[in-house]
Amino acid sequence: MNITILNGDMSDTASDFSAYIQRLAKKLREKHRVNLFLLNQMNIQHCSGCWNCWWKTPGECQTNDDAEQVLRAVINADFVIFASPLMAGFISSRLKRMTDRFVALLHPYIEMRNGESHHMKRYAHYPDFGVILSKEADTDEEDLEIIRDIYDRFGINFHAQQKYLKCIENSKVEEVVHETCDY
Amino acid sequence: MRLAIINGSPRRKKSNSKILTDHFLKGYYQGCTDEVPVRYLAGQKRTEEALSLFEQAETVIIIFPLYTDSMPGMVKEFFEEISKPGIIRPRRIGFIVQSGFPEAIHSVFVERYLAKLVKRLKREYLGTVIKGGVEGIQIMPPGMTRKLFNHFEELGRYFAGHGEFSPEIMKALRKPYTLSGRRRMMFNLLKHTGLTNYYWNTHLKKNGAWEKRFDRPYEMAGIE
Repeated sequence: MNITILNGDMSDTASDFSAYIQRLAKKLREKHRVNLFLLNQMNIQHCSGCWNCWWKTPGECQTNDDAEQVLRAVINADFVIFASPLMAGFISSRLKRMTDRFVALLHPYIEMRNGESHHMKRYAHYPDFGVILSKEADTDEEDLEIIRDIYDRFGINFHAQQKYLKCIENSKVEEVVHETCDY
Repeated sequence: MRLAIINGSPRRKKSNSKILTDHFLKGYYQGCTDEVPVRYLAGQKRTEEALSLFEQAETVIIIFPLYTDSMPGMVKEFFEEISKPGIIRPRRIGFIVQSGFPEAIHSVFVERYLAKLVKRLKREYLGTVIKGGVEGIQIMPPGMTRKLFNHFEELGRYFAGHGEFSPEIMKALRKPYTLSGRRRMMFNLLKHTGLTNYYWNTHLKKNGAWEKRFDRPYEMAGIE
């Protein structure tokens, strides 16, 4: 399997979260090909909403930064892991910033799916995904439910499925490996 | 300062969020003469300016487009800033979320997050105005946008008089929540004519990109 991990940790120093993701990547690499991106150390610009990737250079974002290598690794993966410590009750702005750029992976045309309008596929295959978070002091079940639901919606638009949402506080690396590879 | 508006659209002054804000303010100024400052999150040092405004206002409305099912990254960045200890926060916070999708259902999931964010900040939540079908309003003939702009003017007028979003107009703006069976049927009939993608096709052709519209530039063949 090709597995792409997007780590949205924004800590300046080595964090427990990134150490967990490193252990996860190491374990996954025993049997799979893993692309791990620490987004905070990359030059990822905001999506400018120019739509050039839809109507000028279809499928290709014209912003000159590191996002292209991430987009290539995502769309050619069998599975993607969105990883982020929770910040203000949601995934980090780093991870959100990168996810906004996924618009280049979709087609602007709209189609009806399950009675709703959604963007059509650009690529034949979109990878299913998992979400790994670490909690803040005040994180509760409602926060996790909101994030799970938003990722389910993202899955509909991304032509893929959220397979799990886990918190590092109560999920062993081996459990995540199992659910990533054997779902 | 009573009210301030923060625009979280990456397109800044060329954004649909600005157009909606302008119409909201047009109505607002009919009922209140207090100046309402507007700041943008896009651009260098803009977050600092917006943060400064956020700290001075009594009420703040944050408007943004729906990006991949929630707020744009720069809006999330702002939320992280205003969540830090030591930040002075307005008494009341409300949101306007607009999207290109015609149905409101796409935006109701982030609405739950926004309500929780304000609760976490221990401030009064004014609610979230949701409006779909906004992409393309800059090229639509006036007849197609009149109702939308009137609603936003009315929303602003009501806000000036009552200090909150009009529940009635919020309800009207949320329509359609999902597309009716008739509208879905119309879409499926019209899709074969190319009319449903007229907006995108016009731009693709204008930019000489029509032939490449189904390109897959990031696909790597032969990956094992």
